[in-house]
Amino acid sequence: MFSVKIWGDRGSMPVPGPDTVVFGGNTSCLEVRCGKRLIVIDAGSGIRSLGDWIVRNDLKNGPIDADVFLTHTHWDHIMGFPMFTPIYVPGTTIRIRGPVNFEDETLEQIIGSQLSYRYWPVRQDELAAKITYQSLKETQLDLGDGVVVKTKYLNHPVLCLGYRIEYEGKAFVTAYDHEPFVNLFPTDPTDPDYDAAIAEEGNKAAKEENERIESFYGGVDLLIHDTQYSAKEYNASKIGWGHSSFEYAINAAHRARVKRLLLFHHDPNRSDAELQELELFYQEKICGKSSLRLDASREGMTINL
Amino acid sequence: MPVNNNILKIQRYIGSMPSLPTSVAKIMEICNNPKTSPIDLDRVIALDPVLMGKVLKLINSAYYGLQNQVTSLVRAIIMLGVNTVKNLALSTAILDKLADKSGFRALNMEGFWRHSLCVGVVAKMIAKKKGVEPQRLDEFFAAGLLHDIGKIPLNNALADEYIRAMGLADHERIPLHLAEKRSIDIDHAEVGSMIAEAWHLDGPIADAIRYHHDVALYEGKSADIVMAVAVADYYASREGIGFSGCLYPEKVAPEIFDRLGVPKAWLEEIDAAVAAEIEKASIFLKIKS
Repeated sequence: MFSVKIWGDRGSMPVPGPDTVVFGGNTSCLEVRCGKRLIVIDAGSGIRSLGDWIVRNDLKNGPIDADVFLTHTHWDHIMGFPMFTPIYVPGTTIRIRGPVNFEDETLEQIIGSQLSYRYWPVRQDELAAKITYQSLKETQLDLGDGVVVKTKYLNHPVLCLGYRIEYEGKAFVTAYDHEPFVNLFPTDPTDPDYDAAIAEEGNKAAKEENERIESFYGGVDLLIHDTQYSAKEYNASKIGWGHSSFEYAINAAHRARVKRLLLFHHDPNRSDAELQELELFYQEKICGKSSLRLDASREGMTINL
Repeated sequence: MPVNNNILKIQRYIGSMPSLPTSVAKIMEICNNPKTSPIDLDRVIALDPVLMGKVLKLINSAYYGLQNQVTSLVRAIIMLGVNTVKNLALSTAILDKLADKSGFRALNMEGFWRHSLCVGVVAKMIAKKKGVEPQRLDEFFAAGLLHDIGKIPLNNALADEYIRAMGLADHERIPLHLAEKRSIDIDHAEVGSMIAEAWHLDGPIADAIRYHHDVALYEGKSADIVMAVAVADYYASREGIGFSGCLYPEKVAPEIFDRLGVPKAWLEEIDAAVAAEIEKASIFLKIKS
C-alpha cells in the first residue's frame, strides 16, 4: 500500500466555518502510508485529527512509530504539533526532520518551544513519546522497508524543502510552499541599475533553478503543489511571498509530465464556491490539451498510488 | 595618550595592516538597510573577489548541502534570497579579518577567535532578548566580534611586551586592560579605537571597541550595543569560552544589567544556546583557508 491522505491543505491560518466545509479549513498535514511505515508531512492544524486517528487505528497493533517531515518552520506548518496525541502516548517513537535557517534556533527549539508554559500547559520535557530531531538539507534518505525520501530546496522566504517519496516503483512530490524563481535583477536596459551580464546571468539562473525543481518532480505519479494565488493575484501584489499561482503550477506539472496534480495550500480567503469554480475552470482549460489529471485538494481525501 | 616608542610601533603596525576592504564597510552599511536591493548586494560583494569566493564557498559548503554547485553570486542571491547572502557576506568579511593567524605570538589565535565569536554571539542574543529591531542584530554581532581587535597589533607588534603585560595581569590578579595600560601605556580598547579610525569605522561598532571596558564613561548614542558587548565579554571570560588573555575580568556593575534590561540570571540560561550558535558560526572558520 502506498497512499497519501490529506488532513489539512489550507495556507497561512486555519479557517473553519461554513465556507470551508468542502475543501477544509485546517493547515497542512499529509499522512503517507508506505506498507507498514507511517510518514507525516507537516504538523499544521490538520495533524490533530490525524493524531487521534493514529491512536485509534495504529496503537492496537503496537507502539506508534512515525517519521515526521516538516517542509519548513512557518507557523501554519508546525502549529498542530502540541495537539498531536501520539506525543502523549508512552512507547511512541517520532523522528522529526526539517530544514532550519542558518540564523535560527535548532529544530528542537523551534518546534519544542511551542510546548512551554507560556503557550501550552504541557512542557516538552513532560512528553511521554521518544522524539528525536534532525535538521535536514538537500539530501536522499533511505528510511528502510523500501522507502526513499529525497529533498530539494524550494523558493520561500525561509529554507523550505520539497519532498519526493518513492516506494514500490511509485513516487509523489510535495512542492509547497514554493514560488517560481525569478530574476531579481533589473532586466530593463533603461533602468539605471541595469547590467547586461547580470541580467543575463539572472535570467539563466532563474530558468535553470525552475528546471531543477521540475526535474525533481518529473514524471511523478502525484504532485502536491502550492497554488495559493491566481496569476492575476500573484502579479498584482504577491510576488516574493513564496507562493505559486494555479497557472504556474499547472503549466510546470504539464511540462514535467506529472500524472496527477493536486492544487494545494489554498488561500485562507478562498471559499468552497470559489475553489470549486477554479477547479472546474482549470480542468476544462487543460481538457484535451494535457494528460495531466488535476484536482483541488480536499481535506479527508485519500490518493492511492 | 603619551606618544612613546610602543605607540609608534603600534601606529606603524596599524598602518601596515591590510585596510578593511571597502566591501566590509559597504556590506555593514547595506546590512543595516532593510531596503537593500539584489543589485546593491551583488555589486558590493563583487568589489572584493576574495570575499566573493568565500561567500560562494560557504554557500556550497556542507551547511546547505546543495546538490548543484552554485558558481555565481547572482544565482546565489536568486536561490537563497538577499537576506541570507547579506548575512553570509557580512560574517565572512568580518571573520576573515580576525582569522589571520600570521604573527600571533602572545595570544593563541584559536582562543582569541573563539572568545571574539562568543562575544559576538552573546551580544546578538542580548539584542534579541531586548527586542532590538531585526536589522540591527548584525551590528551587535559585528561589534562583539570586533571588540578586541586592538589586541591584534599589541600581540603582533609588541609581542614580548604583551607577554609581560599578561604576566603582570596574572601576577597581580588584575584585568588585562589595566595591565596593558601600566606596562605599555595604552590598552587594547584604545588601540582598537585607532584601528577603527584607520578603517573609517564609526558609530556603534567603534564605540563598542573603545568603551567595552569603560561603559560608565560612555555618553554616546549607542549605549545598548556598548553595554551588550561589555556583558557578553564578561560572560565569555567567566565561562572560559575561548581565551582573550584576561584571567581576571572586571565584574559588570549591577546597574549595567538594569540599564540593559537583561537580568543577570538570564546569563545562566543561555549556555546551550551559545554553544550551538558558536558551533554554527564555526563553519566560517572551517572555510577560512
